[in-house]
Amino acid sequence: MNLPPLDKLVPDYIKGFEAYIPSKPDAELKKLYGCSRLYRLNNNENPLGPPAAARAILDRFPPPRAAIYPSGDAYYLRNRLAERFGLQPDQFLVGNGANEVIGFVIKAFCQEGDNIVTADKTFAVYEWVAEFSGFEARRVPLKDFAFDDAGMLAAIDDRTKILFVCNPNNPTGTYWNRERLVRFLDRVEGRRIVVVDEAYCEFVEKNDFPDGIGLIREYPNLVVFRTFSKMYALAGLRIGYLAGDREVVNVIRKTCVVYSVNTLAQEAALAAIDDGEHVGRTREMVAEGKQYLTRELGRLGLPFVCGEGNFIMIRLSMSDTLAYRKLMTRGVMVRAMTGFRFPNWIRVTVSHREALSAFIEALAAIAAPGDGSGGAP
Amino acid sequence: MTMPTETKPTALLRVRCDVNHVPMVTSFVENGALLYGLAQAQATELTLAAEEIFTYLCQASRADHSVEISCLGGGYYVRADFRFAVKHFNMRAFNLTATVSLSDAAGMQEMGLLIASRFVDRLNFKETDGGGVQLALIKEKIYPQAVRPPDIRAAHLETYAVRAPNSEELKCFAQLIAGHYPAGTVPAMFQFPGKVADMAASGEYRAALSMGDGGRIGGGIFWQSAGAKTVECYGPYLFNQQKGSLMARELLEACIGDIARSQTVGLINRYPTADLPVEHFEPLGSWTMNAADGAPVSLTAYFRLMHEDPGASVWTHADLEGFLREEYRRLVLPREILAVTDQGETQNPFSVLTTEFDRFLGQVTLRPLCSGADIEKNLLSHIQLVTAEPGKAVFFLMDLAHPWQSGFTPFLLRHGFAPRAILPYAGDGDIVLFQLGRPSS
Repeated sequence: MNLPPLDKLVPDYIKGFEAYIPSKPDAELKKLYGCSRLYRLNNNENPLGPPAAARAILDRFPPPRAAIYPSGDAYYLRNRLAERFGLQPDQFLVGNGANEVIGFVIKAFCQEGDNIVTADKTFAVYEWVAEFSGFEARRVPLKDFAFDDAGMLAAIDDRTKILFVCNPNNPTGTYWNRERLVRFLDRVEGRRIVVVDEAYCEFVEKNDFPDGIGLIREYPNLVVFRTFSKMYALAGLRIGYLAGDREVVNVIRKTCVVYSVNTLAQEAALAAIDDGEHVGRTREMVAEGKQYLTRELGRLGLPFVCGEGNFIMIRLSMSDTLAYRKLMTRGVMVRAMTGFRFPNWIRVTVSHREALSAFIEALAAIAAPGDGSGGAP
Repeated sequence: MTMPTETKPTALLRVRCDVNHVPMVTSFVENGALLYGLAQAQATELTLAAEEIFTYLCQASRADHSVEISCLGGGYYVRADFRFAVKHFNMRAFNLTATVSLSDAAGMQEMGLLIASRFVDRLNFKETDGGGVQLALIKEKIYPQAVRPPDIRAAHLETYAVRAPNSEELKCFAQLIAGHYPAGTVPAMFQFPGKVADMAASGEYRAALSMGDGGRIGGGIFWQSAGAKTVECYGPYLFNQQKGSLMARELLEACIGDIARSQTVGLINRYPTADLPVEHFEPLGSWTMNAADGAPVSLTAYFRLMHEDPGASVWTHADLEGFLREEYRRLVLPREILAVTDQGETQNPFSVLTTEFDRFLGQVTLRPLCSGADIEKNLLSHIQLVTAEPGKAVFFLMDLAHPWQSGFTPFLLRHGFAPRAILPYAGDGDIVLFQLGRPSS
């Protein structure tokens, strides 16, 4: 039987869209690139692993429970989040990773002809979800590596429904302080949904960093995203959440996929959330790692941007996608930044010393002239 | 950059493969060509080419099968497409040489595909979803040549904004390129500013310029989709900028930013200038083209992948393995190289090659459509035919995702083709570009 007439069946906005191709499993990558070990410094994972209480949940999970559906709306976790942040349980929605809740919000508020506003060089998923859903993503250039509040306000029109701010920004690590965020919210005047993605907020120790969830009472158009993937090291279980005003969340709930978050993820997250010691140890590791990396990058003469979060962005004098491949042959996986519109930059996760030393050693080798590859044909 | 989808003005005709329908087809194509902007002379040539193709299809099929013909206005060109199901046609007939007696000039004149190719600027084949083939005839409009613009428009700029130009700015940009860069070092399209403006208006090309006050232009870059996964960029071109200016990098990064989250896998530059920020690229390979005066010009192509390479498997004949291993090592591309062996299995009796003519660039590109027991004979016939017309660079593209294509390797090497470059992900997999010895002259 012939293929269906895909040219006619597929909408134009899907035809022009790039499917995200995740990297292959480590074992396959090691085989392809001929390396015996692989340090994963590409996804901002926490090398310390999940907090102790979450590990205990994973260790003692009874296999028969895998046969039982999870709580469809993460009942206990939402209750715990409500206690922790002083809100009501129905002000939270839990998703299969924060990516899923991005989709919930866009589906809830956008219809044909609407647009969202975000930055050009930030986490790609806001733009992706909007565009493959058929909505325009208005991209405002970063200013000094930071979200440009004035530019975003100027990009708003009658069809703008949502403004996405990544705070701190992935990949630059810049952030809006409380004063700047509040000023922005004031100027939006509650007319649009403002999403503040705080995926990396637990890494920030600056006093002026705003608590987005704490602003929801005052700004009911504010929706805050958080994740258990980064600080709490549950990326493999896929769990994140949003918080907002009850009426706003009730609308978003209409688009929410229930039962999408598995039991293990819900229980591990519930156990992880109160582990302050884990947060402290991680921050300590990141601080030490940043100190080491910035010193070594200075020694190599490579420009970098080191802001908040567990990552650093480095500018190279070669194509970042070539650097990615060269580093892979030396057992180090980083994130090439062309897809973030930072060509010739790489982003590196701040990890433990052994991995960072391997990275610096490999980087020094590939940056050296005549490393034997990538030369003239 | 979201590559343009087919939203251009289009007319459709579905017709049986019956020679009695020739007048209907020619009338349709001619009226479409005129409606979409070709002058009468070009419309007539496109119509004659369409007549040859339709007559040819009538001979290669039964009268109860049909063909869909569309006429599309592309702004700077008109394209007539013929779409049909492979199963209804004798595909052997799509060899350019199928009915040609090479020893008999009259025989060549009877060859519909060849005649059609001479009437148009480009002729190409494309396999479509669902087991079909699309044969496209493209005829471009005629434009006046550039005149040198006032030098005041090309200015050293201390402050500027990189942005998409309007049509007038783009025409001025093309004029400045033609005035500042020697002919032969830049694509000939920049000799025709009106064409460049129409190319951008068509949505197939994009541009970014460094603009100062008063309409002054510091430089610019131009880019287009060159296949499903590759974008080709031209420039950056700078006018009167100081050495070491960041402008070239900013222009290139504007282009990269535009396509960074599209389906583009690779960005290629085949006309590098001294202003190209080569640190953004990898040298891919070199091949030879004939300049306008007939002199051979060696072109080094630069390339960058837009994504982290996930690795891939490629199929090869033993004769090409050494080239592939060395190039993949040099490019640091992780590839599992799989050997294709002939175990005496039965083959199709006939192979099929498609031939793409690009009169504008002076090149002919052969692509295998299927393998067969007559590969060598078929290849030789094609070589003889395409080199009969002098001044053309002849290429052969081999897609390493398809093991059967490797069967052409020993015959290509034996008859004067040499591998020049690997084009990563340019087809279903990586493509090896072979060039026939040197451009025929």
